[in-house]
Amino acid sequence: MKQFIFFTALLFSVCAHAQTTISGKVTDHKGIPIPGANVFLVGTYDGTSTDIDGNFSFSTSEEGSQTLSISFMAFETYELKEDVRQMNQLEVKLKEAINTLTGVTLTAGTFEAGDNAKVTALNTLDIVTTAGAVGDVVGALQTLPGTSTVAEDGRLFVRGGEADETQIFIDGIRVFTPYNTSPNNSPTRGRYSPFLFSGTSFSTGGYSAEYGEALSSVLLLNTINEPEEEATDISIMSIGAGLGNTQIWGENSLSVNLSYMNLAPYLELFPDRNEWEKPFQVASGEAVYRHKLDNGLFKFYSAFDYTNFAVNQRNINYEDRVKYDITNKNWYSNFSYKGALKNDWILSTGASLSLSKNDMMIIDDAIDQTETAYHLKMNLKKKFNSHIKLNTGIEYFSSNYEQDFQDENNFQFTSEVQKELPVIFAETDIFFTNKLALKAGLRTSYDGVSDKILVSPRTSLAYKTGKNDQVSFAYGNFYQTAANSYLQYAENLKPQQAQHYILNYQYTFDGRIFRAETYYKKYDDLVKFDGLYPEYGSDFSNNGAGYATGLDVFWRDEKTFKNVDYWVSYSYLDTKRDFRNYEAEVMPNFAANHNFSLVTKYWINDLKSQFGFTYSFTSGRPYDDRNTTEFMNAKTKSYNNIGLNWAYLVSQQQILFVSVTNPLGFKNISGYQYADAPNSNGFYDRQAVRPNADSFVFVGFFWTISSNKNRNQLDNL
Amino acid sequence: MKLLFTLCFAFVSVIGFSQSYEKGMEKAFALWQEGKATEASNMFERISAVETENWIPLYYVAYVNIIDAFSEKDKTRLQLKLDKAKTSLEKAKQLSPDNVEILIMEAMHNTAWIAFDGATYGMKYGAVNTAIYQKATAMAPENPRVALSSAEWNMGMAQYFGKDTAPYCKDIEKALELFTTFKNETPFYPSWGEGRAKEVLASCK
Repeated sequence: MKQFIFFTALLFSVCAHAQTTISGKVTDHKGIPIPGANVFLVGTYDGTSTDIDGNFSFSTSEEGSQTLSISFMAFETYELKEDVRQMNQLEVKLKEAINTLTGVTLTAGTFEAGDNAKVTALNTLDIVTTAGAVGDVVGALQTLPGTSTVAEDGRLFVRGGEADETQIFIDGIRVFTPYNTSPNNSPTRGRYSPFLFSGTSFSTGGYSAEYGEALSSVLLLNTINEPEEEATDISIMSIGAGLGNTQIWGENSLSVNLSYMNLAPYLELFPDRNEWEKPFQVASGEAVYRHKLDNGLFKFYSAFDYTNFAVNQRNINYEDRVKYDITNKNWYSNFSYKGALKNDWILSTGASLSLSKNDMMIIDDAIDQTETAYHLKMNLKKKFNSHIKLNTGIEYFSSNYEQDFQDENNFQFTSEVQKELPVIFAETDIFFTNKLALKAGLRTSYDGVSDKILVSPRTSLAYKTGKNDQVSFAYGNFYQTAANSYLQYAENLKPQQAQHYILNYQYTFDGRIFRAETYYKKYDDLVKFDGLYPEYGSDFSNNGAGYATGLDVFWRDEKTFKNVDYWVSYSYLDTKRDFRNYEAEVMPNFAANHNFSLVTKYWINDLKSQFGFTYSFTSGRPYDDRNTTEFMNAKTKSYNNIGLNWAYLVSQQQILFVSVTNPLGFKNISGYQYADAPNSNGFYDRQAVRPNADSFVFVGFFWTISSNKNRNQLDNL
Repeated sequence: MKLLFTLCFAFVSVIGFSQSYEKGMEKAFALWQEGKATEASNMFERISAVETENWIPLYYVAYVNIIDAFSEKDKTRLQLKLDKAKTSLEKAKQLSPDNVEILIMEAMHNTAWIAFDGATYGMKYGAVNTAIYQKATAMAPENPRVALSSAEWNMGMAQYFGKDTAPYCKDIEKALELFTTFKNETPFYPSWGEGRAKEVLASCK
């Protein structure tokens, strides 16, 4: 026993004597000491923290070659593999890590919204509480700069572009028919309810190489990954009813939304300018199924809707009202998978299938339109380190459009458009420092019509000029296949083209955002045709061109006034284009020089109420006065609109919502429709294009049933 | 000599292993008590780098940083601390899935963001936390930290919605009882909360 103790003591002393001291100093790249850094030998307990002067010193019994690790928050971890005896009086400079929250971001052209965005312009709640938007994603986005209000249409018109120059994507996969069918002069709505989406990114130009087939803009919607809890949502509205339910079991969840809208009772109370034979009705449903896997997430989204109405509308070319009887059936499914692979690669893949069918009777002409389309996409992303990211992928678009026309004399005409578009893209984000970042990408597609490879370079550069502000620049080249309404009569049309140059300044400070963006956009190869309408026998060409330039300003402030949140948008637009059957390069009828919106929300705790107020102004839009010789030389009066809403929390789970659009009854005119032929005095008669109803009233009651009593649909309003 | 070396090595590894874990953890707690949060966090992190199968040191990396974050006013530093806590919790979760203590710590992380800026983060994390507490209560109703934290959370929500917080005082009392009965033999298993429960209960009266 004695011997053992002696032996142990000997061992102890021998081992204890074999000590090496490791020491040094840790600084940043400017030589400023870093206190509190964690310094240790990997795989051992030997280590320490640096002192106030960045110095460290500790002893180890390890021998030979070891790895010394030095780490500190906001810096990249430093590792040194060497013999421990060499590790003394080290001078270590740590390299700054890229901070995703406070570092520079590549923002030119894009409004991020949602939980993950650093600079949030609008979140889901905003979309649904914006007075006047009545829960429509697109309606709320029209309060952002860069968009033009085209009241009789309702779709997104971005920076002098037509509505179909904006594409919408759900979980990265394209939506082919994003808007509901609506009668002429009634604004359409987006098909998708904002409740199922957690993040939105709206780009008004210069967007990533991952997206294409859009000359002006992309809107990216992401469905919620993980619902928080099971709940049932019931809504009863003046125009219909809705039911939603979310179920969660194990690694699965399913959310379903059903709604039915019928305008008949409303039109009974507030008749509009139309004669309704069959009231406007929409039945729609959406479902998202999610399944969590070990390393990934699978989502399946599906939506259908059925729209039907028959309406008699005045038309200057007919003595009697013109009858439109329209039935639209739309089905959209999309699945997506996102998961981690080995070596930090992330795989995202997905596919969408869209079926849309329009059965129309216009007076005695029957028109059937069927569009079948799919999109397949696979992309791989890798973050090499906090400085370099790569995003690369392939995708394939295919669509088939068929139109059958039959008039009262049984004259029949069938046209078909088949489009195939394979694409490959790659893009890299490089963060040189926390102040300077570059995005560079290339998108390459094959156009079957012209048998050409189309190459679209995209780039954007951002520099942080101060703690709260940054400037960025973006450039991009964009292609988009000509619309079906042209291609059905002319097969040989090339894709249209646009180039964007964008300069952006952004200032964010404590609940306030200021953005100013100026841009120049050049259009080429726009489709032209002769005659009044694109039709069989028209002479089509790609000889059109145009430009758009302007300034967009956005200011949002949630902090200055207590319980008040407001934002202001202003856009100046100068644009001219020669396209369609235009006689010259002029400002098109959907563009306006000035667009202004003010959105405010005021929460009054004592009244348990949120009040919303939205004002929008659009300067006069051009129209062609056929009684003058000059083309598109007249302008409408300016457009004014006010939206008011009131959300009242009856109880924590019950909300009453009232909204009024245009309570002051502004008489807005979007343009004039002229007769195709002059009257007996040689004068072209005209009629004003006006909204079907000047004002709109909406009342709804929303009720959430869940085990968690604190949840309510306030988030949904 | 070679033999001596090998023996020496074996000796240090065998006897030293469990001893250095204990010593290391104790030293880290001592540092924390002295108010040296960064040093304590570093120490826990160094231990976690060796004890690659043990969730406890990672748990404490998170805990130290979250507690520290509650008194942090600078957003950049706050984010760094909470992000460190978050990554540590993610790693801990991989080592010990369905661990109710880690769940509670995740909720604490979220609460730190809400406490910093309720207007911005209240909506994002509020619903998440409610769900976490529901899940944790279902998993381990006998855990005093689960009982205390969910009661405190419900009190906070009631306060926010202008409701009476008194009904939740009973839950705090119950949590306090659980502290006397709850046992876990794992060394350094989380044991905080009793003092806090007494504090909250005192404010009830």
